[in-house]
Amino acid sequence: MDTPIIQTKELVKYFKTPKGDLHAVDGVNLSIQRGQTLGVVGESGCGKSTLGRTILRLIEPTAGQVLLDGKDIVTCSRAEMQEVRKRMQIIFQDPYASINPRMTVSEIIAEPIQVCRTMTNKDEINAYVVELMRTVGLAERLINTYPHELDGGRRQRIGVARALALNPDFIVCDEPVSALDVSIQAQILNLMMDLQESRGLTYMFITHDLSVVKHISDHIMVMYLGQCVESAATDELFRNPKHPYTQALLEAIPIPSLEYRDKEMQVIRGEVTSPVNPKPGCRFAARCPKAMAQCRESDPLLKEDAAGHSVACYLYADPPICGS
Amino acid sequence: MSSVTERLLEIQNLDVIYKTDEETVYAVNDLSLSVYKGETLGLVGETGAGKTTLALSIMKLLPERTGRILKGAIHLQEFPVTAMSEADMRALRGEMVSMIFQDPMTSLNPIHPIGMQIAEMLLLHKKQLSKAQIEERVDQILTLVGISPDRKGDFPHQFSGGMKQRVVIAIALACEPQLLLADEPTTALDVTIQAQVLQMMKRLKDDLGTSMILITHDLGVVARTCDRVAIMYAGEIVEMGRVEDLFQGDYHHPYTTALFGSIPNLTKKTKRLQAIEGLMPDPTNLPAGCKFHPRCPRCMEICQKEAPGAADRKGHQVRCHLYAEAAKD
Repeated sequence: MDTPIIQTKELVKYFKTPKGDLHAVDGVNLSIQRGQTLGVVGESGCGKSTLGRTILRLIEPTAGQVLLDGKDIVTCSRAEMQEVRKRMQIIFQDPYASINPRMTVSEIIAEPIQVCRTMTNKDEINAYVVELMRTVGLAERLINTYPHELDGGRRQRIGVARALALNPDFIVCDEPVSALDVSIQAQILNLMMDLQESRGLTYMFITHDLSVVKHISDHIMVMYLGQCVESAATDELFRNPKHPYTQALLEAIPIPSLEYRDKEMQVIRGEVTSPVNPKPGCRFAARCPKAMAQCRESDPLLKEDAAGHSVACYLYADPPICGS
Repeated sequence: MSSVTERLLEIQNLDVIYKTDEETVYAVNDLSLSVYKGETLGLVGETGAGKTTLALSIMKLLPERTGRILKGAIHLQEFPVTAMSEADMRALRGEMVSMIFQDPMTSLNPIHPIGMQIAEMLLLHKKQLSKAQIEERVDQILTLVGISPDRKGDFPHQFSGGMKQRVVIAIALACEPQLLLADEPTTALDVTIQAQVLQMMKRLKDDLGTSMILITHDLGVVARTCDRVAIMYAGEIVEMGRVEDLFQGDYHHPYTTALFGSIPNLTKKTKRLQAIEGLMPDPTNLPAGCKFHPRCPRCMEICQKEAPGAADRKGHQVRCHLYAEAAKD
């Protein structure tokens, strides 16, 4: 197999709080192959956004490695980082908050180019901005408008154009469609998939919406309180969810079809526990309907089976599944 | 159907606008709707479709300076909401009809314990109750929504989002209203918590026999909880019927079809979603004819000129020229 474009090794991010360390990302290993999409799902507060930002070093990791084409970027200097940043970009969740209201559309899209000085000729930049706007489906006449004149869908298209400006290989998409209406959401998802095909982009797609993630991802990683509890190819995960948390998550999605109407929902009780100084053992044990004694004693390790389906749960540990 | 079950809420030809010096927003346009006793009506639509405006009109809580009911009537059983004074309306709110707002984080008062916020409803509407009886009732309601009564002295910030939404529901249900308006009650919550809250609301509704208007944009939530559904677009109901009518068959408004096409399907693999081209129309300047015609894949000449009437097939109404023949029957 080729070297994955992005790989993390035991990536850790703790935030200091008055009550102790908040384990936002706790030993995450992942790898994404070029041209693929990794969907990261989990509920609010599970560390998905922190993971995305730590991979881009927008937040400095506490420990661990982030490899871009096999090269560790955590140890890169500031100058080296600027080169690296041209290759990795981010699209933020809220198109109302993530773009500067005092800049015009063209200034917003051209800003990364000016910061990184990939182009210096003004006309050249202008032509490039127009080309980018066309790529993301923004009419050229909007070039001098301000964000407040545009609706959410168009603003998110600006966010996409800005992320594409430096021609990156890898884009972290942090809930890019969750602030949008379904009809607009579909437009943006289609755009992102078209761009992936035409430019060979690699995505890390962070979301809480499992139907969206199923639609767009090749692989899915399920996070719970800073840890990866399960990861598999999309179809495999939906066909055969192993971790009790994944099962509960899939069970909880309301499906727009009447078949499931009279089926009793298997609702998991309780809520996400505090990520500050978590107790040893499986983080999900307190809510898990199948928790055993050992789940509360020590952390289950992520084990991968032959089909590349990994799960961190003691239910599948005995007999031990051969690791990689 | 209407002769058998009792009609609780009736809205006839309602027009609501927001008027400022600069512009007039046509938020609800010629909308008629009924809610029967004990049923849940789902109100589905995108941002700006006028769902919340409709709920606020029923509560008569439209922004005082700008919002105005231009014409039409709202009847809540025998009460003519549109013609009532503010003082009379105050007696009705909470007692007869109450509302759950979208965001549980901002709809509670941060400086009062939650027990007190529930008791406030009872103090206002059930003046005959003694202090001890009120306390008892508060405990009862908290247990009903799955919060331990020991926590009634706690403040909102001590609760998580899901728990806060339970408190909001407890307040809304304190006086056992006949009609509950739930404005996106689970949108701000995670899926597992959403499942808990939905299950609880369904149980409460069955126990108390409350009717409910559930405002949502999530068709999955509708499939699980509603008896009837109304699809709103640009201030109008474009399609309304039993939940079976909406989710089955092919007698649908093109907007409904498009809405279903734009949701990623969990059970089927599709290469691309069927996005609806274009945007919601500007509510200050609505298109002539059918409001959906600029985005409609099946637009005809007549659609651009004439607003379609509602074609009724056994209680399943579709407001579209495609089915104009049925309307004449």
